[in-house]
Amino acid sequence: MKRIGFALVVLMLAVSACVPAATPTPERIVETRVIERTVPVEKTVEVTKVIPTLTVIGPWAGAEMDQFLPVLKAAEQKLGVQIRYRIYRAEDLSQVLPPQFEAKQAPGDVIFMWDWWIQKNKDHAVDLTDLWQKEASQFVLQPSTVDGRVYAVPYVLFVKPGFWYKKSFFQKHNLKPPTTWEEFLALLDQISKVPGIKKAIISGDGVGWPLSDIVEHFLITFGGPELQENLIAGKVRFTDPQVRAIFAERLVPLLGKYFSDPVEWTQAVDLWWNEEYGLFFMGNWLTGMVKDPNDLGVFTLPGARGVVGGTDWAFIPKYSENVEAAKQLVAFLISKEGMEIRARQGGKLASRKDISPDVYPPADRALAEALAKIERPNVPDLDDTVGGDWQRLFWDQLKLLWVRPQALDSVLRTLDARFPTR
Amino acid sequence: MSAWRWGKRIGRWGSFLGFTAPALLLILFFIILPALQTIALSFTDREGAFVGLRNFAQVLSDPDTFNLTGFPPGPPPWGSIVHNAVWILLHLPLTVGLGLILAVLLDRARGATFLKSIIFLGMVTPMIVGGVIIRFLFDENAGVVTAILRAVGLTELGRSWTAYPETALPALILGSVWLWVGFSMILYSAGLATIPRDYYEAAAVDGAGPLQQFWYITIPSLRPVTMVIVAMTVLWELKIFDIVYTATLGGPGGATMVLALQMYFYAFRALEFHRAATVATLLTLFTLIVGLWFVRTTRSSE
Repeated sequence: MKRIGFALVVLMLAVSACVPAATPTPERIVETRVIERTVPVEKTVEVTKVIPTLTVIGPWAGAEMDQFLPVLKAAEQKLGVQIRYRIYRAEDLSQVLPPQFEAKQAPGDVIFMWDWWIQKNKDHAVDLTDLWQKEASQFVLQPSTVDGRVYAVPYVLFVKPGFWYKKSFFQKHNLKPPTTWEEFLALLDQISKVPGIKKAIISGDGVGWPLSDIVEHFLITFGGPELQENLIAGKVRFTDPQVRAIFAERLVPLLGKYFSDPVEWTQAVDLWWNEEYGLFFMGNWLTGMVKDPNDLGVFTLPGARGVVGGTDWAFIPKYSENVEAAKQLVAFLISKEGMEIRARQGGKLASRKDISPDVYPPADRALAEALAKIERPNVPDLDDTVGGDWQRLFWDQLKLLWVRPQALDSVLRTLDARFPTR
Repeated sequence: MSAWRWGKRIGRWGSFLGFTAPALLLILFFIILPALQTIALSFTDREGAFVGLRNFAQVLSDPDTFNLTGFPPGPPPWGSIVHNAVWILLHLPLTVGLGLILAVLLDRARGATFLKSIIFLGMVTPMIVGGVIIRFLFDENAGVVTAILRAVGLTELGRSWTAYPETALPALILGSVWLWVGFSMILYSAGLATIPRDYYEAAAVDGAGPLQQFWYITIPSLRPVTMVIVAMTVLWELKIFDIVYTATLGGPGGATMVLALQMYFYAFRALEFHRAATVATLLTLFTLIVGLWFVRTTRSSE
């Protein structure tokens, strides 16, 4: 008897499982109609809307992050999404992303990374060609492409405009920005004689990139933007007499005498601002890192026809769970509206042509106006463009050169021998 | 053999396998298989074709690995293998010696627990943080060590040690002694506590002085502890990475490049995984030699 009862229960459960749960019975439909016709009440329909949470990964921390977060806040309001920001340097991402991608995972929905790295890993990136084409004509930079397809889009512009100085320091010691190489050398001598000054120029260091920026500025000034581009393309070698001459005659003689030993670059900002050093070569993000940006002045090496300008590249991993929302976010970031919000914070310049200089804070506005007079304000960054392990080697060899100027030929030979196209 | 005995034997094996299988499976899938795959990768090229020992020849002939052109009296770089060897040659005796001296001096001393805790702080500090601290300890502007050296008149050594090829490696090695000495001190302290006091009392009755007691009682009694410290320290020195990564990134000019960092650069900067696997295989080989030595010495002393 028990068995029969158990079998019946199982049968009933099986039958009930076969009936689609969502199918309403005809009686219920009739009843609903009656209620809707006779009782005209205001009904509140509850719709469960899933708000996607996007994770944006970028290299900016501290003041730079504070300048970027308002853009994400605006995007949250405009797109109706939630956004988390996580800090990862490109150096660290290069370690984190490959195993994640192999496992078809992505730590973020929008990631800022080196463009050479994205190109090498384009199989893991979403094709952004359609998104880019809507905005392409407004940009001063080209996107990161492989075989004509866009895999990463440029964000705001950073430039490495030259040597920064404190206007008040220059006024106090009757110093003037140089207009010739001789005036530059004279200025270095004058600064060196100021009481309390350790060296005329503080050399920023980190993993070595600030030194590479200085070297590139010398190469562009004395060899023209073409030299930098030819070095990147591998058409000119580091052992080329022209390159060696720039190092040997312009840079190396200044190293021991006027440049300090490499100092961790964020520490260097404070030491320079405290007037232990007179000049500091750094990118324009410096405007967001000092107490009074209005006291900032900057000059290029006399005769420079171009300066390095670059950007951070945004891409969307294929394994993002919110590819469409991520695309909307990227579109917002590079839109006029999104770019204006970022430009207003300072520390970076817009990479769009349709952003008025009026949106910038005063220090950045002055820089934008000064750059407008430079023939090539966006010469590609040498080490960022070449990338790979050579980039690290370049930084490391320059750190050696800074303290061992007599190792110049060995440094140039090493850079040449290990260049990717050799 | 009776069926009963067979049943008992099978039952014993069944329990053994039942208890060890989870751990064995984990070790098999997460340690042994990846290790074998890494070794296999070191014999292939980018496309996965077998190339014999070509990767080993290339890695060992890379100046980053082996470069004796400037070997003493010239400053580094001497190549990662030599740097690792120098690290062992300097760091091992300093760590073992200092650890022993500190353990003996602080044995039964007043406030010893507090002092030992302070010395042991280096061990509980994450090595990544340790690298940053070392960098600043030897920094011209912020460093304590450089400030002291300048104060005693050694102005030449008052500059940033990590910026110069001749001082960068010593800075890292000395800094790592500070980080690691707590380990040897604690182990020696534990070893000292196991030596019966009777030995010292008997030696004192026989007229042995403190130095003789130390030489003939303390050191031989601590031999097993010393072996553990030496083995663990050498293994740590061989796979040193984090300190170098944060303090110098292998520079300047490759003067502090070590094998583990070189492996990292091959894998994640050059994206040459087969070469990274080659360095990993070499590292495994070196650590295996140390491990085998340790096992054999332990067995023979038993």
